[in-house]
Amino acid sequence: MLWVIVKKELKRVFSDRRLVFSAFILPAVGIYILYSLMGTMMGEMFEDRDQHQSIVHVYEAPTSFLDYYENHKDDLGMKMTFDHDDFEADLVGVKDGDIDLVVMFEEGFDQKIMDYQDLVQVPEVKTYFNPSEDYSYPARNKFVMQLLEGYELAMLGERFGNENYAKAFMVDVTNDESEVMDESKAMGIGLSMILPMLIAILLFAGAMGIGLDTIAGEKERGTMATLLMTPVNRETIAMGKLIGLAIVAFVSAACSFIAIMASLPNVGGMLSGGRDISITSLSFTVFQYVQLLIIMLVLVGMYVGLICITSVRAKSIKEAGTYVSPIYMIVMFASFSTMFTTGEPALIQFAIPILGNVLAIKQLFMFQLGMDAFLLSTIVSIVITGILILMITRSFNNEKVMLNA
Amino acid sequence: MIKVTNFTKVYRLTKKQMKEQKVQDHKKIAVDNISFTANKGEIFGLLGPNGAGKTTTLRTIATLLKPTMGEINVEGYDVVKDAKAVRSSIGFLTNELKMETHFTPEYTMKFFGQLHGLNLETIKSRTNELFEYFGITEFRNKKIGELSTGMTQKLAIAVSLVHDPEVVIFDEPTNGLDIITAKAVTEYLQGLKDKGKLIIISTHIMTVAEKLCDRVAVIINGKKVADGDISSITTMTGTTNLEDAFFALYKDNVKEVL
Repeated sequence: MLWVIVKKELKRVFSDRRLVFSAFILPAVGIYILYSLMGTMMGEMFEDRDQHQSIVHVYEAPTSFLDYYENHKDDLGMKMTFDHDDFEADLVGVKDGDIDLVVMFEEGFDQKIMDYQDLVQVPEVKTYFNPSEDYSYPARNKFVMQLLEGYELAMLGERFGNENYAKAFMVDVTNDESEVMDESKAMGIGLSMILPMLIAILLFAGAMGIGLDTIAGEKERGTMATLLMTPVNRETIAMGKLIGLAIVAFVSAACSFIAIMASLPNVGGMLSGGRDISITSLSFTVFQYVQLLIIMLVLVGMYVGLICITSVRAKSIKEAGTYVSPIYMIVMFASFSTMFTTGEPALIQFAIPILGNVLAIKQLFMFQLGMDAFLLSTIVSIVITGILILMITRSFNNEKVMLNA
Repeated sequence: MIKVTNFTKVYRLTKKQMKEQKVQDHKKIAVDNISFTANKGEIFGLLGPNGAGKTTTLRTIATLLKPTMGEINVEGYDVVKDAKAVRSSIGFLTNELKMETHFTPEYTMKFFGQLHGLNLETIKSRTNELFEYFGITEFRNKKIGELSTGMTQKLAIAVSLVHDPEVVIFDEPTNGLDIITAKAVTEYLQGLKDKGKLIIISTHIMTVAEKLCDRVAVIINGKKVADGDISSITTMTGTTNLEDAFFALYKDNVKEVL
């Protein structure tokens, strides 16, 4: 009997082309296009920044700097000019974005470098840039990190009589094995930033739209009373709807998940915090896959229970939508909050519903999920799902709730 | 057989409902201590104006609501204690009976047949029989959403009769039906009666009751004011037809001037 209801719920969803399109295909295609577009556009933005020729105005440039610049200007991609006299007007230019960078050398720069004995006598280079402009900050960075650093080294060499004396030691010049890490684990850490959050949110979003319809919608349309007139246990009807919805949520999340994976090559490091990620270099054991599946199953159970109880209590889809949105916010909050946590979470955190499950997925990706934490979050979820199911069947037996009597 | 003994139903009103109905009391007595018996092989009618408590009574017989006080027995089963057994032996029809518009009539029959625990063979023969009778056969594979209103109503009736119930409960049988469908339905109910089934209907259209019912109970403001066959009620009120008899009863029981 349970299977008859589950089958009907699934038939309702999967035989409806519009629902299939809006619940499975549209979100997946949307995610793919959005992520790919974002990745491509970010890539283009960086490229554009790299290719831009910065406009730099330099005041009081010492001879040594002019010489140094003359020898290195080909690698810099900067348009540097030295014959300006209106400093104030140039600052306005920086503010307006017409000039990327203004540099002011201290008077008598060369002489001071040769003569100084005390740190207070060291001459200064002042830079003026505009962080709110796309090209200004990178120009300043390039100027300081590439040009001034090399120039400083050259000047130190001059002071010491030999450029090589300016270096006391090197770091990792001959050491090719500086990064000591497990490839798979590194990949896991990269993925653990973003994937647990996505899994948690996608599962909920997948269940939400259709979930509101299967109970609140049936009540609103009056088809629920027809169902309640059959000699089937109310518990069976409730369970059938829950299981049907859980399957739908899984399929929907899987579609979105595939779309994310497919868009990864176009996204580059955007999702992983700079690392190149590819799911293939992540190698889980069978046991870990089973754990992941169990965590996702109990999470879906809890989600579906929450969505069903709100739908049962509501008189219409609209009302149910109002009730379910705060729950969606909590899910989002719990998911996002795990994104930026570092270190090992306390065991008690795994006992918090939803947050505990997302944390468990995160720890799993980092190969740090302890058995106690896994069991704790799973048991808590099962208990909560059980309570929700009990509340749902209670409501199914409540004439006031079901018939608005 | 349906046996209703001292049945009372009290609704608790929400604050909003109290405001809407302009009453101070939390409780609203929908049905007040009524008793009657309906037997196999007859069509029993509950008559009364809107809001008299007819639908509440029928819904309670159908186990959708629970009695506040009193007992209701259907085919020997108590509607509270043996709700499942009661649901197996009744077919509850109402104009509010809605079906998933996305599915076909064929699938809907199969789905509800299975929920009633019928095997696929029985479902098939019942479906053919009912579809043939109500003229649904050629639409059996169309989506319900594409059917006409009359066809949808006929299908709803067929769906609630798929398990060939011993007792048929029909809330306002001809209300909202087109004239052709209404005739098909009343004829079908007559046929069921001839097969020895018990049919209980509610209506406020006295001509329908007069034509269809063997016995009636008149309910006004939740209280039963008369019951018996139609001739005994007209005799009792000194009238010649059921409509006049009803108005006479109404005048006696409600102070309102007609």
